[in-house]
Amino acid sequence: MAQDPVCGMKVDESTNLKTMYRGKLYYFCSPACKSAFQKDPESYLRSGPKGMPHG
Amino acid sequence: MSLRLKHQEQLQIVGMHCATCAITVRKAIVSTPGVEEAEVNLASGEAKVILAGGSLKDVVKSVRRSGYDVILGTASFLIDVRPEEFGKVRQRIEEMEGVVLATISATGVVRVEYNPYSTSASEIERELTKMGFKVERAGQLRVAKAEVEFRSLLQRLLVASIFTALVLALRGLPITSILSSAVVVFYAGIGFHKGALRALRNRSANMDTLVSLSSLILWAFSSVSLLLNHLRPSIYYFDGAAMLVTFILVGRSLESYLKFKSSEEVPSMVRLKARKLNGELEEEVDTTELNVGDLVAVKSGERVPVDGVVNYGEGEVEESLLTGESKPVLKRVGDPVLAGAMLVNGYLQVRVTRSPERGYLAQVVRAVREAQAARLPVQDLVDKVSAYFVPLVMAASLLAFSVWYFLLGTGLVQSILIAVSVLAAACPCALGLATPLAVLSSINRATRKGIVIRRGEALQSLREVKAIVFDKTGTLTEGKLKVIKVNELIPGSAEMAAAAEERSSHPVAKAIASLRRTTHEVTDFEEFPGQGVYAKVDGVDVIVGRRDFIQSNADGEPLEDGDVLYALNGRIAGSFTVRDSLRADALDTLGRLLSRGIRVVVATGDSKGVDINGVEVHTGLLPEEKVELVRRLKSSGKVAFVGDGINDAAAMAEADVGIAFSSGTDLAKKAGDVIVPNLHSVLELFRLSERTLRKVKQNLTWAFGYNALLLPLAAGILYPELWLPPQYSALAMSMSSVIVSLWSFL
Repeated sequence: MAQDPVCGMKVDESTNLKTMYRGKLYYFCSPACKSAFQKDPESYLRSGPKGMPHG
Repeated sequence: MSLRLKHQEQLQIVGMHCATCAITVRKAIVSTPGVEEAEVNLASGEAKVILAGGSLKDVVKSVRRSGYDVILGTASFLIDVRPEEFGKVRQRIEEMEGVVLATISATGVVRVEYNPYSTSASEIERELTKMGFKVERAGQLRVAKAEVEFRSLLQRLLVASIFTALVLALRGLPITSILSSAVVVFYAGIGFHKGALRALRNRSANMDTLVSLSSLILWAFSSVSLLLNHLRPSIYYFDGAAMLVTFILVGRSLESYLKFKSSEEVPSMVRLKARKLNGELEEEVDTTELNVGDLVAVKSGERVPVDGVVNYGEGEVEESLLTGESKPVLKRVGDPVLAGAMLVNGYLQVRVTRSPERGYLAQVVRAVREAQAARLPVQDLVDKVSAYFVPLVMAASLLAFSVWYFLLGTGLVQSILIAVSVLAAACPCALGLATPLAVLSSINRATRKGIVIRRGEALQSLREVKAIVFDKTGTLTEGKLKVIKVNELIPGSAEMAAAAEERSSHPVAKAIASLRRTTHEVTDFEEFPGQGVYAKVDGVDVIVGRRDFIQSNADGEPLEDGDVLYALNGRIAGSFTVRDSLRADALDTLGRLLSRGIRVVVATGDSKGVDINGVEVHTGLLPEEKVELVRRLKSSGKVAFVGDGINDAAAMAEADVGIAFSSGTDLAKKAGDVIVPNLHSVLELFRLSERTLRKVKQNLTWAFGYNALLLPLAAGILYPELWLPPQYSALAMSMSSVIVSLWSFL
């Protein structure tokens, strides 16, 4: 299991919701987390998960 | 809406993979009107819903709106139902626990979506049987049933005609009249009386009620008056009763013939027989008996019976049914052929590659059958009117009798005739047939042009489309991409990138992969939809993809040119420039859509769009951003999405109408409400949608207009100058539904 860098949830690595940043793979629980990460990956990598980006 | 007691439904939700999903789904369900409580279990994917008056249909809608789906079962049944009863039957089925949606096609196919946890196809079948219908599970389109109905009507019509002629010829002989007309009313007209009884058991009234009542009143009244006169010639209307039944049978037979013809139209494209080859011997077998690997012979002028590959011979094949292209294509050994294609000339031996029930054409027939049961919103109004129509006519008939007999002092005989004439003139079935037949004929037209409409409701939504979004690659363009320029910073590096792209099915990846010249060891392959790929090629980390994807994963100078960049071991190593040509009919299609006043948008994942005047272009979109774009456009009206139905399934599902491109492959793998063979078909679809709604309006206007005109006439508003006796009222009524049927197919 991997950790969603945006909300901190445990995510199955077979998901299609994934991206690569600086050569490292990241997996997400939802399209919302994935697009939040892609907009500003550095901030999540610096300060860790911040919870779901939507209400 | 019926009042239901509180009950619990268990649903299987699709697409949840985290706690947030479960919370979202629960919120969506609880916010549905009439839902008391809901629990959603992420681990099992199940939702328990306590409904207090709410409908399962609304719950499913809410779940789908929140971006998830519910597993539902579907079942189709063929029943002998009158069009004016469609609403009643639908309502009864939808009131069953676990039923989400019921729709009925003009040919009497009831399609039910249900929750497999709460009910089953057998339970629904039992309910239909309980309502008094003869039910058949529609495993495949049963043309046979429509044909049997037509033949049995024809047989009764023949009997009715002969005996009615007898009644008319031997008017002076009371005994002959009473007996011959009894044959017409009770044998030839038995279907009407049975139908009326069934409707009565379901506490409703239909067309049969009116026919049965009017013919029985005339016949019984004449018999009583004959007996009272000791069988001496007197006032009797056996001829009227016999003609009434005969005329209605004429109308019913014509209507049934049209239905039979139209339900035969699509399956007739499926050949039921094939010439199977056993060595030198040729034997004719049912296509259902064929297995993968069998060899079949196809001769000039025949349709190909199954999907397969040419094993021997050659010939020109016309595939318009599958591709919309009417120009024949030459097929030689090794070429694939599809069931339903017509061998114009030549001789082929085809090796079966797909079992007939899984073949493309069988999928088309199944899809079309389901679409034919589409329910356009206008049907709600029609159902409401139909439900009250017959009781109102019966009341009008009683009122006419009372006015003429009690108020105006007309004789009993004439007053009864007027009352019966009102019953015979009223035509609720034209109302009931108006919408389903228009839908059916449009869907059949589409199918003939290689367009498969899976969801008939799309015909109405298309009429209201304000914006249409086209995916670019493979939809507006040929999808045959070519690499026209390679820019290598490290000599030989492009070969590594080509090897990394080999496992991707994306058209751009395929074009790059075609550059590979030698074998490489490719491991750890990962694909990032809409961004690119990563793989270890001969132990080297290779990333290939969009400019921004490569820049966020590799160091080095970003190259100026190129659509696709690649990096080796974390350093940018080169780029590819890829080109695709626009389809021949792309410019014309987009232009025509623009001139219709529709907002045309092109959405593409590439960095380049298309340069067409008046067309909005959005480049560099990820699949989820395409969904977002559709969502935004939806705020200003209905949106259609045109794509390949595989890579953009999500955007297609988000749009009001999803249109997928296909040239006769596998329907099941594709998203989309409509499958089209080429770009011009998109315009054809818009035309069909307009035609359908025009026909519906015309049919309804006719049906309402006819009744508004004929009922007062039958009730004697212009009596004695102009009045229709019961048998002629019946003739007018029969012709009214025939006209609606004919008009729908013109």
